[in-house]
Amino acid sequence: MKSRLIVTPNLCTGCRTCELACAFAHSVNGKPGRSRIYPLPAGFPDMWTPVVCLHCDDPACAKSCLVDAITRIEETGAMELDNEKCVKCMACVAACPFGCSLHDAQHDMVVKCDLCGGDPVCAHFCPTKALEYRPAMPTKRKAVG
Amino acid sequence: MVSLTINGKVVCAEEGEMVLTVTRREGIDIPALCHHEAVEPFGACRLCLVEITKKEWNGWTNYVTACLYPVEEGLIVQTHSSKVNELRRTILDLMLARCPNSPEVRQLAADHGVTQTAYEEMPDADNCILCGLCTRVCERLGFNAISTVGRGHHKVVAAPLKEAPPDCVGCLSCAQVCPTNVIKYEDDGDQRRIWGRTFELITCKQCGKYTITREFAEALHTQRDIPLDYFDLCDECHRKELSLKMGSIVNWSREAAS
Repeated sequence: MKSRLIVTPNLCTGCRTCELACAFAHSVNGKPGRSRIYPLPAGFPDMWTPVVCLHCDDPACAKSCLVDAITRIEETGAMELDNEKCVKCMACVAACPFGCSLHDAQHDMVVKCDLCGGDPVCAHFCPTKALEYRPAMPTKRKAVG
Repeated sequence: MVSLTINGKVVCAEEGEMVLTVTRREGIDIPALCHHEAVEPFGACRLCLVEITKKEWNGWTNYVTACLYPVEEGLIVQTHSSKVNELRRTILDLMLARCPNSPEVRQLAADHGVTQTAYEEMPDADNCILCGLCTRVCERLGFNAISTVGRGHHKVVAAPLKEAPPDCVGCLSCAQVCPTNVIKYEDDGDQRRIWGRTFELITCKQCGKYTITREFAEALHTQRDIPLDYFDLCDECHRKELSLKMGSIVNWSREAAS
């Protein structure tokens, strides 16, 4: 079964280690890139959600990309953005209903989570296992009839 | 698979691939201004020219643009021979005469040892190298708002009849891909001006940040079936909303468990 980046918000402490790990893992010419993941306050005391691309089944980013620069990588299931193809029209940044295509102003490029090619660095560094990269448990369904 | 020799090194490539794709994969730095992965190769800037030969050519060589030349079995490519560098310098010399004020062209020419053009500089130069990358990207996006107009000395990039283009949606892709940053645009509050047209930018309903133009959002809605309400918020507010939604779900499940 394919591994997925599993986010468990109630384990997140908002320490932002994932953000640091992501920025360094995606550095451009030695400069840290914009992090594709970071925890945001979830509206209740001491509650955070690490917000990261969900690699949707019906992705608005890929649909909105008129040059087809965002495609699904079969091995990882990740929606990956090819920066060589990107024309920076910002359609995906505007269209993603979860805001997970981001504009890196420092490097002037559009960035999104690519699951680090199948080994997400953020999951390695998460101290509370709010982020895990493992096969998702199949959802338990009640027997019908 | 075919095997060819680039600068003395034997490399493998897929059939149908262009020489430039292979050299880039091998990490060989060949200058190219009009090349973009989103569109088909065009061979306008001529800077990626390389020297090719084959064993059976008995010492004869040819000079071709790497972006348009498909790989062949037994091809021998030289990317930086003295003749290639000389030809590249000539092209840059001509480009410098056309675009004397373009920092990008000046830098590239200086990197190849051309600091001063041997030709007469073009008066009222607009710094456009006429590579047509903007028009090709516009066509690829499906808008076809701009194209090259005229021939020879009169060739320019313009909208039909040199008026404000009715098909432009103000996505700025042309300005973003332009290798010499010629295409000017202006973002002023919720207004964007480009190609003589003024567009209204969508304002985020929560934070007031400006995102894309309303025309572009409507084009994405009709062409790619993206619901229009996806464009109500900016990316930042979308993330905040997702976090709050997750928070309320977690809180609900906690309450349900206790």
